[in-house]
Amino acid sequence: MRRLGRVLHVARNDVWRMVRDRPFFFWTLAFPIFFIVVFGMLFKAGDAAPAVASLTVVNQDEGRWGAYFVDKIKAPNIEITVVKAEPADFTRLIVLPPDFSARIEARRDQALAFKKRAGASERAAARVETRLFQAIARVLSELVLYGDGDLTTFLDGHPEVADLVRVETRFPEKTVTAVPSGFDHSIPGTTVQFIMMMVMIYGGISVMEDRKKGVLSRLLCSPLSTGELFQAKLLGRWSMGVLQALMLFAVGKAFFGLNLGSAPLALLVLAVFALAVAALSVFAGSLLTREDLIVGVSVLLANMFAGLGGCWWPNEIVPPAVRKLAMISPAYWAMDALHALRFFQGGLRDILPHLGILLTLAVVLAVLAARTFRVRP
Amino acid sequence: MLEIRNLTKSYGDVLALDRFSLDLAKGEVLGLLGPNGAGKTTLISILAGTLGGFTGTVTFQGQSLFASRQLKNRLGIVPQDMAFYEDLSAMDNLLFWGGLYDVPRAELKRRAAEILELVELAGRAKEPVKKFSGGMKRRLNTAIGLLHKPDLLLLDEPTVGIDVQAKVSILDIIRNVGAAGTAVIFTTHQLAEVETACSRIAIMDKGRILAQGTLDELVRIVGERTFVEISGEFGAGAFSEAIQDMPAPSVELMSAGDNLALLAVSDTDQIPRVMDRLFGRKLAVTDLTIKSPSLETVFLKLTGRSLRD
Ligand SMILES: Nc1ncnc2c1ncn2[C@@H]1O[C@H](COP(=O)(O)OP(=O)(O)O)[C@@H](O)[C@H]1O
Ligand SMILES: [Mg+2]
Repeated sequence: MRRLGRVLHVARNDVWRMVRDRPFFFWTLAFPIFFIVVFGMLFKAGDAAPAVASLTVVNQDEGRWGAYFVDKIKAPNIEITVVKAEPADFTRLIVLPPDFSARIEARRDQALAFKKRAGASERAAARVETRLFQAIARVLSELVLYGDGDLTTFLDGHPEVADLVRVETRFPEKTVTAVPSGFDHSIPGTTVQFIMMMVMIYGGISVMEDRKKGVLSRLLCSPLSTGELFQAKLLGRWSMGVLQALMLFAVGKAFFGLNLGSAPLALLVLAVFALAVAALSVFAGSLLTREDLIVGVSVLLANMFAGLGGCWWPNEIVPPAVRKLAMISPAYWAMDALHALRFFQGGLRDILPHLGILLTLAVVLAVLAARTFRVRP
Repeated sequence: MLEIRNLTKSYGDVLALDRFSLDLAKGEVLGLLGPNGAGKTTLISILAGTLGGFTGTVTFQGQSLFASRQLKNRLGIVPQDMAFYEDLSAMDNLLFWGGLYDVPRAELKRRAAEILELVELAGRAKEPVKKFSGGMKRRLNTAIGLLHKPDLLLLDEPTVGIDVQAKVSILDIIRNVGAAGTAVIFTTHQLAEVETACSRIAIMDKGRILAQGTLDELVRIVGERTFVEISGEFGAGAFSEAIQDMPAPSVELMSAGDNLALLAVSDTDQIPRVMDRLFGRKLAVTDLTIKSPSLETVFLKLTGRSLRD
């Protein structure tokens, strides 16, 4: 009990000293709120799909099936433009090749090209894609049921088979159905970024300075052991991170209508993330011997991880290759878990892999930090 | 209450402590006098439990000092560094550092206020320490070591780098702590301090104790002779050669270094004769100081060097 008391005593003092520092509120509140507003506004419009999605059909088909297929695509929220040759400018486009009808009649397979202009609304594209699948399915079902005729006419006379074929489209799991945006993205993003900044800078510098000034050695003159001292340093820095998260979430709730999906799970993600960052800060403080070096490394790592990890713009909008690369950033795993909770109806099961990765990272960094931890300059 | 036996510690090739042994009784104030690099900080760090990799034993109140961390509750350390938090107030520092020991919170608060009175910081207890003068910081540094009422207090150069007045006040504190029954070891490289504040003095150099005793006992080591310190431009060998045929009891070479030598002479009449020999060999003398027996001459005799170098 005394043991735990001593660890808490030292950890509490570290947090207390950080909170008392004058620039503290600037760094943990004013500056992050600025980030929250800027990135919240920047990605506010997000990917609201246009009311009517446009589709250009390049119909090179000679037979009757091309026109028939186009007819099946028609829907109130899709604006179809039929052309003969591929235009230079389009939003999204499907090509019906010259042998479209011939292949259908010969019962041969064929491939249709569907193209999207880069940057076009993903949601509108999803709507059009759905409609295309439905049209393909209808054409196929008609061929099966009624030979080469028109199913609509056939069904008028045979209501009993109307529901024989139904096409439901579902997006495979993890397909982007929403792009995280607005304050619900920028608040967690900024929080993740500033946990890294604050904990690494404050936490790293104080370990280094206390060692240089002989404070760490002096702590060991008391009944406190080296192990307890290390635990206290880790705990203190972890608390700094959690405190940062609580502050920004509270501000978010009060002023920006923040919705985290599940606040307890979001806090759990950040708590595990903060542990990894806490270990990293003790590690940096043990390894580096100069303040400017610690600040430099912290700012560099925090911003690199934040940018790459999806703290600024959502990872869901970057190219797949970049997203893969982003996985080296611890922030990616925190952000991906937070997005799952808020934007993709995720629960604890969905974020278990993220928690596992972050926890493993925390353990590895804590072992490294413990190995390099020293109290003498 | 404290028995140090054959403590040996080296940093690579540097032997910082060389079979160092020492005994200390309750209420004794021991001044450990040694030049820079003598091994004082190394000794204090080992006793404080912050430096390992040594051999030898230290027995404290009948058990090994390193047997249990609980023993630290009876040990007070004042390191050479001003190791505390400059951004906190003196009071907050005391509460934090004292909080590491097994002292009940209410008792701790009471003692902190008491100690602040003792070290004359009560009036500025709530100010951030960074606003303090060097002397005030030294007093706070000392106060932190006293807070949990240790049985043994170790201070490493507690008066370094502060003005005379602040020094006197720290030495007063040390004397009072000793008078109250705490055993004290404090290290210094300043003669005047040990002359006034200690019940016993130990002179150490190169990791060992060269002599110890009360001031009187130590001064007796050099006897009733007068000491002459000669500086000039000469090598140690040339100097010894120049005076080697002078009869031993009347002129004795205590130590000879390059450009600095120490002689003991039976009476001052011998001094011109020594000068003749030196001039005869064209050895230039730039300064000559006559010293009556004192701790300084003891130190010079034992270490062969002045504390000022
Ligand atoms: N960390 C260290 N690494 C190497 N040598 C050291 C270290 N600390 C002290 N020394 C050497 O050990 C000797 C004793 O040093 P120290 O105990 O600091 O002496 P003092 O406190 O009496 O000035 C000196 O020669 C010093 O250079
Ligand atoms: Mg020293």
